[in-house]
Formats: sequence, C-alpha cells, structure tokens
Amino acid sequence: MMDTETALAQGSNVVAPWTVVTQTPEQGRLDVVVRPTDLLPAVRALTEAHWGYLSAITGLDVPGAGQPTPEEKQWERLDGVPEHAGTVPMGGFEVLYHFCHGAAVLTLRVRLPRTQAAVVSICSVIPTATVFERELIEMLGIEVTETPNSDHLLLPDDWPSGVYPLRKEFHAPDAGSAAGEQGGSHQ
Amino acid sequence: MIQNPKPQKFIVPIGPQHPALKEPGHFEFTVDGEIVTSVAIRLGYVHRGIEKAAEERNYVQDLYLLERVCGICSHIHATAYALGVEKLAGITVPPRAQAIRELVAELERVHSHLLWLGVAAHEAGFDTLFMYSWRDRETVMDILERLSGNRVNYSANVLGGVKFNVDAAQADAIRRGMDFLEERTHHYYNIVTAEETFLRRTRGVGTMSADQAEALGTLGPTARASGVQRDLRIDSPYAAYTEFPVQIVTASAGDLEARFVVHVNELFESYRVIRVILDNFPPGEIEVRMPRRIPEGETISRVEAPRGELFYFIKSNGTDQPERIKIRTPSLSNWASVSATAPGHKLADMPMILVGIDPCFSCSDRSVSILPHDRQSKLWTWEDLRQYGIEYYR
Repeated sequence: MMDTETALAQGSNVVAPWTVVTQTPEQGRLDVVVRPTDLLPAVRALTEAHWGYLSAITGLDVPGAGQPTPEEKQWERLDGVPEHAGTVPMGGFEVLYHFCHGAAVLTLRVRLPRTQAAVVSICSVIPTATVFERELIEMLGIEVTETPNSDHLLLPDDWPSGVYPLRKEFHAPDAGSAAGEQGGSHQ
Repeated sequence: MIQNPKPQKFIVPIGPQHPALKEPGHFEFTVDGEIVTSVAIRLGYVHRGIEKAAEERNYVQDLYLLERVCGICSHIHATAYALGVEKLAGITVPPRAQAIRELVAELERVHSHLLWLGVAAHEAGFDTLFMYSWRDRETVMDILERLSGNRVNYSANVLGGVKFNVDAAQADAIRRGMDFLEERTHHYYNIVTAEETFLRRTRGVGTMSADQAEALGTLGPTARASGVQRDLRIDSPYAAYTEFPVQIVTASAGDLEARFVVHVNELFESYRVIRVILDNFPPGEIEVRMPRRIPEGETISRVEAPRGELFYFIKSNGTDQPERIKIRTPSLSNWASVSATAPGHKLADMPMILVGIDPCFSCSDRSVSILPHDRQSKLWTWEDLRQYGIEYYR
C-alpha cells in the first residue's frame, strides 16, 4: 500500500481538471470542492483510476440566516470563480463524497443553494452509492437526479412528505424533553 | 395442473422483523424457480434518528447515545466518536487509556466473532456448533463484565480517556480466558474447514472475487475473505494499534468458507494481541481533562469495527453540541455484496449468504411469503426458510 501523502497527491491529480479549490483539514485528508456539474466526471475519474472506494456520503445543512458562517465567508471568497462554483451565500447544503484509500480520505465537496438543492446521481459509476443517495434524499430533501431508487431507506413509509429530519429547521418531537434535561430549550 | 406453464418470476419478501436478533431489515428476493435473480433492500425498522438526536445533545451525552448505536460493537462506536472529538479538541489521550481502548475493542471483536460463528452455524442447521460457540462466548462476556460491570454496553470510553483501569488480577483472568478460548477456537477451525456437511453449505457459496469486493466497497472480514487487504487497524492505526499492531488476516477463495476461516483466524490474532497488551501495559494516567466546548472544525474518524470500517464524520461549531455527526456503519456498505453475490444462488442459500456478511442481523427476519404459480400465497416464517435451506441440503 502506498503511503498516505502519495495517495492523496495522486488523487488530487486525478480530480485536478474539476477542482475549484482544495483544503487539507487534517492529516491524511484532502477536501476538493467541485461544481455540482463536475461531480460525475470527477467521481468517474477517481473510480477509473481505482483510487480507493466510496466510503460514505455526508449531507450537511448549512444555515444561512443571521450572520454569515465561517463557511459562507470562505465560500464568498470563491465568488470570482466562474459559475460561482456552486457557492451558497444564503446558506444551503453541502454534499460530501468521502473516498478512502488506506489511511487517505479524499472528499469531494459539492455546494448547493437552498433554492436549487439538486445533485446528479453517481450510481451510474458507483452502483452501491444508492443507499447513501436514498439517505440523502429522505433525510435532507436534496434531490438526486437520475438516481435509480428514491424510495425511503430509513424513514417509515408513512413519513410526511416534505419533512426532512436532518435539516436544521426540523426538531424532533421529543427534542423538548432532551432539552429539558439540559435545563434549556432549543426552540 | 396448468399446461405449459410460462416461466414466471416471484418476489419473495423476507422481513422485516426478527425478535431475537438485533437489526431488522426487509429484503425482496426475486426468484426464477429456485434461483434468486435480484435482491432489493429496505432498512430503517430500527431507525432511531440518532444522528439528529446527537445534534441536540452535548458531547458528553452523545458519547452514551452513540455507544447505543450498536448492541454488539458498542465500544467501537464510542471509540470512533471519542477519538474524533479528542482530535477536534486537540487533546492527547494517555497511552495507557489508548491501550485499554484497544484491549476492550479486541475483546469485543472476540465476542462479536464468536456470536457470528454461532448464528451462522445456526442458519446452516448446525445447532451444536451454535450452542458451543455461544457457551464459549460467555467467557469473554464475563471478562467484559468483570472489567466494566456490563456485558454489552461496557462504557469503557470517556472523552479524554477511559473509565476503568485493568489490574493484575483482571489481567490474569483475561489471560486464562484467552487460553481457554484459543483452545476452543482450534476446534472451531477444524470444524469450519473439515466438517463435510458444513462445507456443503459454505464452500463455493456466495463467492466474491477480490475485484468485485473492491468495486462494491466491501469492508471488514467479508472483504478480507476475498483477498482484499483492507484493515484500518493496519492501514490507519488508531488508539494503540501502532504500539500493539495486529497482523492482517485474509483468505483468497471469497466464498462463505473463506469468511469463516477469516473470522476464526482473526480470533487467534485477537487473542495474541490481547496477551501482548496485557504483558506490556503502558503505565500512567487513564484520563485527561476535556473542554466542554469543542473548537470549530471537522474531522473524520475511521476505526475497524468487528464487521469492517466504521466511519464517523464530526463537525463541531464551537459550542458544547456538535453541528453534525454522520455515521456510516460497515453493514450498510456490505449489503451491496449481498445484492451482488445472491443472484444465481438458490433460495435455500439465502440464509447463509445473508448471515455471511455478518450483518447486524437485519436479515434474520420474521415472515416470508411465497407466491407460487397458482398465485395463491403461502406464508413462511424465517424459521421456515431456514428449515427449507437445511432440508434442501440434507
């Protein structure tokens, strides 16, 4: 197995044509921001280069209300980039595709505005991504276009439509009692 | 009888509940006669919204919450979480605490693998092996209880270290337990590699090549049984795995027999490393103080659970509550291997193929209904399907 830094450098080269910006959040990791439209070619390039395996897809709800979050400030700096690189000045979603290769983790980050929360399915390249995409759809309400199966994976069949539990505005019905234990309310 | 019946495909639903095992799931096997042609999976019957709940609690509360994601590999969940939060906080945990984490993780692997061995034997109709392996598993359960006070949620971790120390008397008890289990495991190795009737259920069944396993993102013993060199304890050592390394255990055949061989050989490796830890315990503290508020940041914490890579993504926002915790358990990744290997096999092989990936037993389900040619449905329980598999191979 090649060492972690070599693996990351190699992965970085593979996705270079679609890279907007890269970050190294911690040792052994590389975060690569790509535009939503470039996601599929970047994933295909990693897969065809046999660079590791898709370990997980994380969806993040990034609230935009109030003061700009540090993420938003960071994203604003991308404003000079053509097509705004999927920046979300008013908050939105971020979808993280974590590829693992030994100890190395390369994360493709796609930023989606709240008004246009849609990302293309990567199942045409990695069929096993379907479970992660189904989770993304039902938990965060992010539309995954061309995904082979958008049925509920985890939520009950009778779960109300348009209610997405991992969005920040959603509060579980029993969250009040949990907050009560801490002597405060989240509402 | 109908003249010239046209070949039809039937969907055999299995699931969603099984009272004795841990994680219910629902599977729909499409069968063409006896042969399975495709598999669909529906999860979520025990979905408890833990990721959301974690966002609404503080870091200390989350430790106890996340330890309850899984009733079998509880310690590894807490370890992945604690390692991640400690990384975000910039805290270095004392070596002795890390060694205790590894010790408990390996004891947990022993109990998990023995549990799997028993359940897999049961699904094959080999209940004697099931009874013996579960009886022997009590040895490690007693050790864990003696260490922590609990058989299942040992709660070994705290943020910044571990909760309990291991004294000389406990170390001796663990050594005795490992000696006993090692002797028993030799016996199990002989059974799973030489017992003819058992091999008829495992050899050449559910075969997955290394390329397939790689492409499917298969993890843990399931991947290693196909010859994939993938073990985070070696690839990306955490806790004390740098000081107390383990050897990777692989097999090449990729069938169910290979998965048995890998599980059993991993037991030997766990016994060995447990003894090494006990003989070379680093002295010193077992806990450091953690801040209540965790500085803003993002981290990924990956550990090798008994079933494969467990993935935690933790995003902090500077408060005492996390912004987001994403958990990807190894079983979720390994379901894909069921979908890939089941087609082409007989319905009678399904219990073994499902159990072969050591899922959190979502597969072992309550009722199966089969729609025969005359379209009258017949209801089967999971027990019926298991019996069907056993009778089929009798």
